[in-house]
Amino acid sequence: MEYDVVIIGAGPAGYVAAIRAGQVGLKTAVVEKMYIGGMCLNWGCIPSKALLESAKMFNRVKVAEEFGIDGIDIQNLSFNWVKAKTRSTRITRKLTNGIQHLLKKNGVEIITGTARLGTDHSLFIDDKQIFAKNIIIATGSKPKAIEKTLENAPVIEMEKIFSLDSIPDNIVVTGNHISAVEMAQFFKLIGKKVTLIANSDYFMAGLDDYLVTIITRKLKSENIDLILNAYPEKYENGEIHIAGFKIKCDLLVNLNSRKAIIPESEIPFELTERGFIKTSKAFETSIKDVYAIGDVSGKSFVAHVASAQGIHIINHIKGIKGNFDDTTYPINMYTVPEISQIGMTEQFIKGIGIDYKISEFPLSINGKALIEGNTEGFIRMISDKKYGQVLGIQIVASNATDMIAEASAFMNLEATVYDVAKTIHAHPTVSEIYMEAGYDSFDKAIHL
Amino acid sequence: MRYIFNFPDIGEGLEEGTILEWYVVKGQVIKAGQPLVNMETDKIVTDIPSPKAGTIVAIYGSVGETIHVGSPLVEIEIEGVFGADAVAEVKETGKADSVEEEAAGVVGTMELAEKNAYLAASDEGSTKSKTEDKPVVKVQATPLARAMAKDLNIDINKVIGSGPSGRVTKEDLENYKPAKQPQGVIHKTETSTQQLSADAVTYEPLSQIRKTISKNMLHSKQSTAHMTLFEEVEISHLITVRDRYKNRFAEKDIKLTYLSFIVKATVLALKKLRKLNSQIDLENDRMIYNNRYNIAIAVDTPEGLVVPVIKDADRLSIQQIAQKITELSDKARDRKLSLDDMKDGTFTLTNYGSIGGIYATPVINYPQCAILGIGRILKKPVVKDNQVVVGSVLPLSLSVDHRIVDGGEASRFINQIMEYLSDPVSMIMD
Repeated sequence: MEYDVVIIGAGPAGYVAAIRAGQVGLKTAVVEKMYIGGMCLNWGCIPSKALLESAKMFNRVKVAEEFGIDGIDIQNLSFNWVKAKTRSTRITRKLTNGIQHLLKKNGVEIITGTARLGTDHSLFIDDKQIFAKNIIIATGSKPKAIEKTLENAPVIEMEKIFSLDSIPDNIVVTGNHISAVEMAQFFKLIGKKVTLIANSDYFMAGLDDYLVTIITRKLKSENIDLILNAYPEKYENGEIHIAGFKIKCDLLVNLNSRKAIIPESEIPFELTERGFIKTSKAFETSIKDVYAIGDVSGKSFVAHVASAQGIHIINHIKGIKGNFDDTTYPINMYTVPEISQIGMTEQFIKGIGIDYKISEFPLSINGKALIEGNTEGFIRMISDKKYGQVLGIQIVASNATDMIAEASAFMNLEATVYDVAKTIHAHPTVSEIYMEAGYDSFDKAIHL
Repeated sequence: MRYIFNFPDIGEGLEEGTILEWYVVKGQVIKAGQPLVNMETDKIVTDIPSPKAGTIVAIYGSVGETIHVGSPLVEIEIEGVFGADAVAEVKETGKADSVEEEAAGVVGTMELAEKNAYLAASDEGSTKSKTEDKPVVKVQATPLARAMAKDLNIDINKVIGSGPSGRVTKEDLENYKPAKQPQGVIHKTETSTQQLSADAVTYEPLSQIRKTISKNMLHSKQSTAHMTLFEEVEISHLITVRDRYKNRFAEKDIKLTYLSFIVKATVLALKKLRKLNSQIDLENDRMIYNNRYNIAIAVDTPEGLVVPVIKDADRLSIQQIAQKITELSDKARDRKLSLDDMKDGTFTLTNYGSIGGIYATPVINYPQCAILGIGRILKKPVVKDNQVVVGSVLPLSLSVDHRIVDGGEASRFINQIMEYLSDPVSMIMD
């Protein structure tokens, strides 16, 4: 059996590539071991945000009285983990079924199993051999295993968190990136005692230093203990020993930095220093006609970039020409308030020596933010002084993750601060802060 | 059936044109003869009509692009025409185009070409400002690219965009190198300022007008037997007449120039000596005498030399001729001359005197057989009644094709013109 394309992994990189391949008429199969939709749909993006939404709601109703709603007994409020989990699973199931339907609709064959690469365009799925003109590795990544010193701790991976029947009181999250902060905040929002251990010197790497400061301050204000740049020594009597502290730990959530899941291959892949599959700009691996996209190539670790790579690579195989620009995409944090960043950070701009200007506008004087009672936050716009091109946007706002889309669009169109200022924004909206920041960057914000 | 309409040869011997404005859009239903596009050549601005009725399915080239003759302009979906008929359709239109080509005249000019060419070439750059006055469809570009183009003084319409739908991006501007000409669709290069080169010579591509002139001049010189006569005519009387009527004409907004009288005199002389208004047809061993007196006049415009034609000048009074000259010069200056305005000349006048010239050996506007060059009126000593007095002398240079016109005939012709000009009243006496 020969396919035009066989994709290994049905996460946001793989399944999107598979749908696209079906759409353009390639004979396509996708090999998935277990989860259609990958981490994103099964224990990553969707379910974790669904849990966070429950936690946000739990806290939101506490201020209902302020909005004129009586009858909510705050003393009796409690977070029902099982119900929140059920809701999350319901959403996940709906979406994975949707993807299965889309794959089928586009003529993509779904092969369940673990793929192993042979030579000469061949693949083995368990005992079955198939051939493909093109092979796309989209196997993703997983957190590095927990340190050996903590092997006796009650460790849980996100993948398994939905199997818990209840959440104990003392939670330790280990990790350095967005998901670790999100989950730490989640446990805090539902009333747990939380410690976040950043076991590296690159906590929140990639985010603007200004945002990192905001996040650090926020964690502190919420009484989430943050231990930076330290490594746990041991787990003993229900406590983690670290940097001279003893931290109570009933559950250790592993959100460590990620490592690639590399499929077995008769010809070994060339890897990067950090152990990801090395790829060219066109996503080619060291093996002919084998491509790698998504987390496994280590170029980015967000679903939306993986999906974009998936579409691009199929177009490339099909001969549809186009550039792939992954320099400008949003990085979202689904915290309270949400945090979103796109484009270059101030440090990066400084590093490359561009003469820049920062303009800011706070949410505390935005009408819609006041209406919603979500006045914590701001917009920060970094632009180059010469032409006024918008180089970076950072938003902290309850709806920042959606608001950033506007910046994605105008930054892809190489907009200048003048364009942003002159764009008429509906009133009242939180997005009006874009316009204000736009004006602020070359003149004066109107409402400041 | 899909019919691809190629940019037709609209005469003049031009090989390319620049799109100024599209009148149609993709998907539009059009009638035969409906204008499709407004094209600018080095000589004229003209509408190109559709040869077919149907639906526009594709448009090639955007505003500002230069299209070669024979390159596709539009694709038209013609309903109800299939197979062999379709081929026939294409052939038929091809034929029609070539007929058009024959009918169109070449541009006559004079052998004072060096000077004239210089004038034309030096003004070519002004084409730019002309086109800029016209509303131009904006090229797609990102705001940053526009800001950069302004800053770097790059005409963004000339940058080829690599973004979606050809959008010009920052990267395109960073990679932009002007004056590289891709094949097929060529972006016009401006040569307004001659760059001083450190090398001994500077290479510059030939402009379309220079190519046309060089082809036509060579063709004329190689196909005819040039002979030139020089004469001087004292025109004091004509000056008096002109001065007397000048203001009266001006009240009617008509500029009474000496040229109007010269046209009149020429036409009258041509009527007497019809060989000067003829052409030779060696293939069929015969002469072709023109029964119409269509006087072509070389007009110097910033875009270069154009030669509009006063048709049936023999039927016009001096006032009407003056009026016509004003009208055609205005049109030439505004680049509103149509192909019709420049067709069917039978004899050419070239007035280099207005630029200061005295004598020249004008090159015949082939296949015509003669061209009269008019110099600058000079104050000169002349003998009148055995007295040396100050005279007003108009120098004339007549080039004829000696295959057709003999020396005697040429002399008689120029003498006749001189007679009319020295004694303007005689023009109404014949």
